[in-house]
Amino acid sequence: MTADAAPATPGRLARQRRRQSAARFWRSYRTHRAGMIGLAALVLFALMALTAPLTVGSGVAGVTDAPGAPLEAPSLDFPLGTDRFGRSVLGLVVWGSRVSLLVGLLAAVLSVVIGTVVGVTAGHFKGAYATVLMRITDWFLVMPALVLAIALATVMTRSLGTVILAIGVTSWPTTARLVRAQTLAVESRPYIERAKALGGGHWHIMSRHVLPNVMPLVLAQTTLMISSSVLAEATLAFLGLGDPTVISWGGLLQDAREAGAVSAGDWWYLVPPGIAIALVALAFTLCGRAVESVLNPRLGVAR
Amino acid sequence: MSPQDQHGTRRSHPRSPRHRTARLVAAAGAVALTVSAGLATPLNPAPQRAQAAEGKKTLTVAVAQSVDSLSPFLAVRLLSTSILRLTYEYLTDYDPGDAHPVPGLATSWKPSADKLTWTYTIRSDATWSDGEKVTAKDAAWTFDKMMTDEAAATANGSFVANFRSVSAPSPTQLVIKLKKPQATMTALDVPIVPQHIWKSVKDFSKFNNDKSFPIVGDGPFVLTDYKADSYVRLKANKDFWRGAPKFDELVFKYYKDQDAAVAALRKGEVSFVAGQPALTPAQAASLKGQKDIHVNEGPGRRFYALATNPGAKARNGQKFGDGDPSLLDQRVRNALFMAVDRKAVIDKVFQGHAVEGQGYIPPRFSTYFWKPSASQDLSYDPAKAAQLLDQAGYKKNAAGKRVGKNGKPLNYRVLCHATDPNDKAVGQYLKEWWGKLGIGMTLDCLDNVTDPWLAGKYDLAFDGWSVNPDPDFVLSIHTCGALPATPKDTGATDNFICDKTYDDLYARQLAEYDSAKRADIVKQMESRLYDLGYMNVMAYPNAVEAYRTDQIKSITTMPKAAGNIYGQDGYWSWWSAVPADSGSSSGGSSTGVIVGVVAGVVVLAAAGVFFAMRRRTTADDRE
Amino acid sequence: MVSDAVTAPVARARRPRTGTAYPRYVAGKAGGAAVSLLAVLVTGFFLFRLIPGDPVKTMTGGRPVSAAQLAEYRREFGLDLPMWEQFTDYCRKALTGDLGTSYQFRAPVIDKITEALPNTLLLTGTAFVLYTALGMFLGTRSAWRHGKLGDKLNTGLALTLYSVPSFWLGLLMIIVFAVGLGPIPGLFPTGGMESGGKEGFAYVLDVAHHLVLPVITLVAVEYGQTLLVTRSALLDEMGSDYLTTARAKGLRDDLVRRRHAVPNALLPTVTLVFVNLGRTVAGVILVETVFSWPGLGGLFYQALSVPDLPLVQGLFLFFASAVIVMNTLADLLYPLLDPRVGR
Repeated sequence: MTADAAPATPGRLARQRRRQSAARFWRSYRTHRAGMIGLAALVLFALMALTAPLTVGSGVAGVTDAPGAPLEAPSLDFPLGTDRFGRSVLGLVVWGSRVSLLVGLLAAVLSVVIGTVVGVTAGHFKGAYATVLMRITDWFLVMPALVLAIALATVMTRSLGTVILAIGVTSWPTTARLVRAQTLAVESRPYIERAKALGGGHWHIMSRHVLPNVMPLVLAQTTLMISSSVLAEATLAFLGLGDPTVISWGGLLQDAREAGAVSAGDWWYLVPPGIAIALVALAFTLCGRAVESVLNPRLGVAR
Repeated sequence: MSPQDQHGTRRSHPRSPRHRTARLVAAAGAVALTVSAGLATPLNPAPQRAQAAEGKKTLTVAVAQSVDSLSPFLAVRLLSTSILRLTYEYLTDYDPGDAHPVPGLATSWKPSADKLTWTYTIRSDATWSDGEKVTAKDAAWTFDKMMTDEAAATANGSFVANFRSVSAPSPTQLVIKLKKPQATMTALDVPIVPQHIWKSVKDFSKFNNDKSFPIVGDGPFVLTDYKADSYVRLKANKDFWRGAPKFDELVFKYYKDQDAAVAALRKGEVSFVAGQPALTPAQAASLKGQKDIHVNEGPGRRFYALATNPGAKARNGQKFGDGDPSLLDQRVRNALFMAVDRKAVIDKVFQGHAVEGQGYIPPRFSTYFWKPSASQDLSYDPAKAAQLLDQAGYKKNAAGKRVGKNGKPLNYRVLCHATDPNDKAVGQYLKEWWGKLGIGMTLDCLDNVTDPWLAGKYDLAFDGWSVNPDPDFVLSIHTCGALPATPKDTGATDNFICDKTYDDLYARQLAEYDSAKRADIVKQMESRLYDLGYMNVMAYPNAVEAYRTDQIKSITTMPKAAGNIYGQDGYWSWWSAVPADSGSSSGGSSTGVIVGVVAGVVVLAAAGVFFAMRRRTTADDRE
Repeated sequence: MVSDAVTAPVARARRPRTGTAYPRYVAGKAGGAAVSLLAVLVTGFFLFRLIPGDPVKTMTGGRPVSAAQLAEYRREFGLDLPMWEQFTDYCRKALTGDLGTSYQFRAPVIDKITEALPNTLLLTGTAFVLYTALGMFLGTRSAWRHGKLGDKLNTGLALTLYSVPSFWLGLLMIIVFAVGLGPIPGLFPTGGMESGGKEGFAYVLDVAHHLVLPVITLVAVEYGQTLLVTRSALLDEMGSDYLTTARAKGLRDDLVRRRHAVPNALLPTVTLVFVNLGRTVAGVILVETVFSWPGLGGLFYQALSVPDLPLVQGLFLFFASAVIVMNTLADLLYPLLDPRVGR
């Protein structure tokens, strides 16, 4: 029924089905006010990061031609004052959004990819393989992630890649567990058995049947994971484990602290990056929760 | 976690009065808790006095560095050695005015005609804090231990490396015989310990001297208590031979966060903050002009330099490490330094709290301070730097990058201390300055730079040393003799400099007992070092520190005119500090305690009543 | 190969079915924990061997040392042995509580840990009790009035605080409540655990006074999660038929809540509470750094920057084992708390 039919039809059907379910998803998502607020905030932040080369330009990070005096209070020229080099804090926060969001995004993707691969294969193959994999997952789950991430970041050289790796490698187990549970549920459905009977191999079943079904969960998980990755990036940068020559929100906070802005009362150096981190983390959390409750109506009351 | 509340239910029902009472009591408890927490501070609006209630005068110093050891044979960190300096007297001290040697345990000293025997007269009016007399035997035992026990030589072994023998023919006479002449015999910064206490120590590598308090010493203060990363407590030694300190107690209190330390100073929790290594410009600016706070700024003891890897090698000639070969060309080294705008470093990074770098030894030590002559001066001149690089054959390619002899664009790795904000800041400037020259740069910031450093795996590095009144040590670390014997050893060398001319001068100054002549040779060494371009001094950071004038009336700086307080070459600051005499008793804290106690009782009572109520409600429900 | 697709999803034996199965369940959990602890032991050894460089050269801090001396140190710390022997040696010692000697403090690692542990326990313990209580209390309230304004404000605030970096909040706390901002006086100490020189009750008060800001910071960033989990667990539970039945029987609402809904909803929360302890341990590194609290977190960070290999390793072992033990406890408590399991 699958192989001998016109090849375009099932594909088109599937695409249509997916379009429909996406539309259904969106209709449902739209009713979540908090989710919409989060989404709007995210769109704003994404725009800010993408247009940063036009609005502030990479020159904002240059120290030798910094426009202001060090640690100037907010003024018309510098709405959020200047940093220790005399650069505009507003410009830096805008410019820093690129690295913070990028690292958050990549670390979350890395984490979710690892989690999904582990979860789907552990759910699909079962047996000793699954046992060992889930043992490892359990073990990672109980490790204090920050401690492990700090250790990893110390062991490797200081770069953005290290930070991404340290966050991604330590935060995947939750995803793995959720995905595995979902995989088990999907694989117990009759049509999987049918697919197997028709000669579908492991790869076919995992990629064509399991993966599309766990995708919504993965999406929700990614959204939530970005939120914690942004926080984790800030934390590592704050502990001085980031790349000091790259502008990021956590790095700005670390700079502010090292410059003594806390006791000097230079709030404009300290407050904006922190608020930016909190807002982005909150926005991703709101979106993630909305997605979750759309997918799992039992939690729908979570609005 | 009280689950009862009357709003959330779907069907309303009459509010139970008992519930309301319970809630009120709970609220009262919460308020009381907050209040008690708030009021545990003194009620008086004036800053809390860092003094105990009995009018004991306490000087509290905010510190961040952990104590590595309280054993004088092991401790190397600044805080630990400063504390040991307060508890154990040295043979000689440095004058707070111009740092010339003045009597310590030794009242006088004399070299023999052949320069190889030094005889010290030990004072007879010094006693250990347990009442025993301090004698020459203690000193002889201390030095001898360092010469014979490898573990005891851990911290200060270099001082005795050239000793042939040490003896104490009488309680007031110490004789040290040398293998070679040594001009630093009046600068032996070695704490002398009481033999009768220390002779029972078995393993010097494990003994940290931090178990039985008070620790027997003979300095101006006696160490009475220590709790790791919380405090170090010392009490005045009333029998100190130079005179008792004016404060009764000296406490080093930990603030791992420098901002917290500064805030503590503002509130009067501490009397003194030095910062690590100095207050930041922002902190200094915010403290200036504050009531009862004095910001003290003095010339620093440190130089802040850019060291270049001269191709690491060992004494046996074996080469190791991976320094860029282009740096072996003096023109390249000089060009790199000429592209560094030292004035901008002072103005922007240090914001004026530093002096522009010249020679190797900071101007604070005027005897040895040296300035480059006009002809050798490598002043900021990017155009000339570009010219030099062109001459040396490192020309720009089509992309504007200078290309090395191997055809690849030049890119230098600069080793930086991740814990030093100045390294990171200057690094960013270097990156842009050298970028304009067409040279790439990677800032390699590490918590622990020791490993790549010792392995010679760097191109350039941020470097800095605290210079002692006697410059011998900082000069010695650039001699060929300081190189490691083989690549497997660790040498005393700073960054593998080995230069014949410099070495000859070094040997000459060490054997020169005439201080004016010696200073002249030292200056020639500095000139040679400057020309070589392996050590490029960018700045001499100032010491920036602050204290409360309502707690400390006066304190000796070193040098006396416009000097620093923390980390002096001596105990002058804490020994000389005079307490301010305003409002000696601090009634505030006792009021605070009383209020706190009352509030605590209220909280406990409230909690008790609250839980009793909860019980009763549950009992009601059960019926 | 085909047939195992038919079998139902592997029933994870998370919960024993009957009371008699409990000892076996305990044994299984304990075995699992033992395996995890072993894995931690192995990781602790190999992870920190990855730190580049020679630990002995680091240990001597760049001071001039001859190759012979370095070899001597290497022998003393057992670093000259083959990796395998080092590993067995380390395992044997670790099992007897000997975690080696700290390079920088020249003191047994276990001493440094026991020195800092009470301080960390005091801070995390206080915060843990408070945020768990607060989270559960507010979560229950929120669930009971879900959809109402109070609930929205409650969850909104929790989510916001949950998104705030703890170190940043700590810094702001210091600025506002320790240094004082505008009309707000600086009521609390800026850092540390004690002023020193106090005894008896005054000492207790003094420590309590130092505790306030770090505890508030920890509670603020941590209570949100407990709140949300309690809330959604309770909401799940509230859909259940038995609650409607209970109400229909005429039981008072708050009674229904306390007797039926809350205990059941507590189940997922208990697991979370213990997992949270692990999170708190990690979170405390930042808060301890910001507030200069002399605890394990600060020690860990300090050890990493040297790097003081034995100390880092020891702390890592300690953190991880603590979390594993806590999780195992949660697993063991779980069936005892589950009212659906007739015991």
